[in-house]
Amino acid sequence: MSVNTANAKNMSETQRLQNLSEDELSVELVSSGVTASLFVEISRRYQQQIYYHCRNLLLSHDDADDAAQNTFIKVWQNANQFKGDSRLRTWVYRIATNESINLIRKRKPTIDFDEAQPEMADMITEDLYLSGDDIALKLQKALCYLPFKQKLVFTLRYFEDLSYEEIALLTSTSEGALKASYHHAVKKLEIYLSVLR
Amino acid sequence: MDLENEKIGPAYNAPDSYFKESESRLLQRLGIDINSPEASAPKIEGVKPAEVLMKVDTSGVQKRARKQDPLTSKSVGVDKDVDSFGKVEIAPLTFTTNENPEWVNFSAISEETTGLGESLNITKVTYGDLLNPLTESAESESIEAEIVKVETIEPAPIVTETSEFVAVDVVSTIIEHENAIEEVLLEEVVSETEVSEPQEEFAIESIVEEESTSTESIIIHEVPESVGLDELESYISPINAQKAPIVEEVIVEEEPPTINLEAPPTAFAPIAGRQKESATPGWLGIAASLAAIVAAYFIWNAIQPPKVEEAMATELQQDEPTLIESPLDEPNSPKDTIPDGLQLVEPLILGEMPKYKEPNVYSIIDAKEMPPRTKRALQDLEDNGLVTFDMEDEMFEELDFESL
Repeated sequence: MSVNTANAKNMSETQRLQNLSEDELSVELVSSGVTASLFVEISRRYQQQIYYHCRNLLLSHDDADDAAQNTFIKVWQNANQFKGDSRLRTWVYRIATNESINLIRKRKPTIDFDEAQPEMADMITEDLYLSGDDIALKLQKALCYLPFKQKLVFTLRYFEDLSYEEIALLTSTSEGALKASYHHAVKKLEIYLSVLR
Repeated sequence: MDLENEKIGPAYNAPDSYFKESESRLLQRLGIDINSPEASAPKIEGVKPAEVLMKVDTSGVQKRARKQDPLTSKSVGVDKDVDSFGKVEIAPLTFTTNENPEWVNFSAISEETTGLGESLNITKVTYGDLLNPLTESAESESIEAEIVKVETIEPAPIVTETSEFVAVDVVSTIIEHENAIEEVLLEEVVSETEVSEPQEEFAIESIVEEESTSTESIIIHEVPESVGLDELESYISPINAQKAPIVEEVIVEEEPPTINLEAPPTAFAPIAGRQKESATPGWLGIAASLAAIVAAYFIWNAIQPPKVEEAMATELQQDEPTLIESPLDEPNSPKDTIPDGLQLVEPLILGEMPKYKEPNVYSIIDAKEMPPRTKRALQDLEDNGLVTFDMEDEMFEELDFESL
């Protein structure tokens, strides 16, 4: 009898969290701390976005899976450090970006983030869960010819639809610099795509 | 292509099953049970030392010295974190006697004690016996063991050994001998002299039949084909039933290979002996090598890419001597491009023209060396849209999520 009561309570709690907006979820996290049901709701809400964000940066499915897993582990471990100064999505994206950068440094310690990594384009055609869209694959290959910072800004803006304000908060960069960087990235990608075609 | 107007979708499309599996894996890694909503983030606690069972007196024990890494040739210091972890705790050693009957080593007890071999009638066949059943030594040993076994049962056993014994394992041999023993018990005893009588056609089967009727146990060793009937008797040796079984072995000695002890004809005789002298005369080899060199030369020339005509033309032009077109007596001054009537006005025109001045453009701004006041002013300009800076200006700081 008590088990059924607990299950019903959990179901109602889960439904309540599902109906919360992102801001309300942030308030819930700051005010009452993280619980299992709250963490499950956060992971379900941002799991796909974080995976695709890591996948765009790392290109490999295995690396993206590792980075996404480590991201949510850090969310769970550092949930009490979330002050609510930024949006919850920005905070999770920032952790995921850091995890991706750490993984890239782990794979290639001598990497220079100001330089493009065109050799990574070969990894795209040989991995899991590709959509099969040719132009999308060409865009991913063209992204390898961008420096990491421009690639990061373009990915967050173009694929993840983050605002410049969020990206500026995420990357600790001014919005003007982000706009210029995004503009440069778009122009370079258009040239690369015309060449790749 | 206009990327901003033509929206291109993501290149990756993971199925929902992957995300479900990933979520369950994540919850499993964190040890989160969805049904327990009260679970909270785990607090990192220090490692509690275990309960001290027995303290070890480490007084007088010399501390570890710095050890040398053979690969890096660098000394590796003592790990202070490990050393400062706490006291070394060792559980007290306890000694127990071997009281558990399950610990008895059964393999150390002979079969005579256990009697398992006789009760179960198990014949021991080793792996080596199965691999080499045809060796004479194995046969003699098995026969010897059989003799011992038979002696305990019947004082006058008969052991036979066939020369045509080819591919029969030891077990079948033992069974064959046991059958022979039973026949002996029933049939009449025949003297040994009857067995050893010469016969015109010597057949192993007949000997076996006759031997089965003899009273004394004999062993017939393997008889080579070269042995005649007169020597055949020496291969049959009687066995005293009361004595320990002795198996006589007749070693057929083959003639050792003759070794020529004479000195070799030359110092390199062993090598010369292995090599066959070539019937081809020496000049033919030289001619063949020359022909190969010539053929290689022609092949090399044939596979060279043809020279481009332009390259050949430039080579020809370079070879030509430089011609001095102007005569030496004429002055070699540059021609004046200003028309004759305006030459006097030229210095006036040049003097009136403003000097060229490079625009004050700074392409690179190093934010690290910039004073904070200037940096703040530039930031204000940028935020108000008055100026735009590129991201390559090192203002992109390292990401640090704790700062949020």
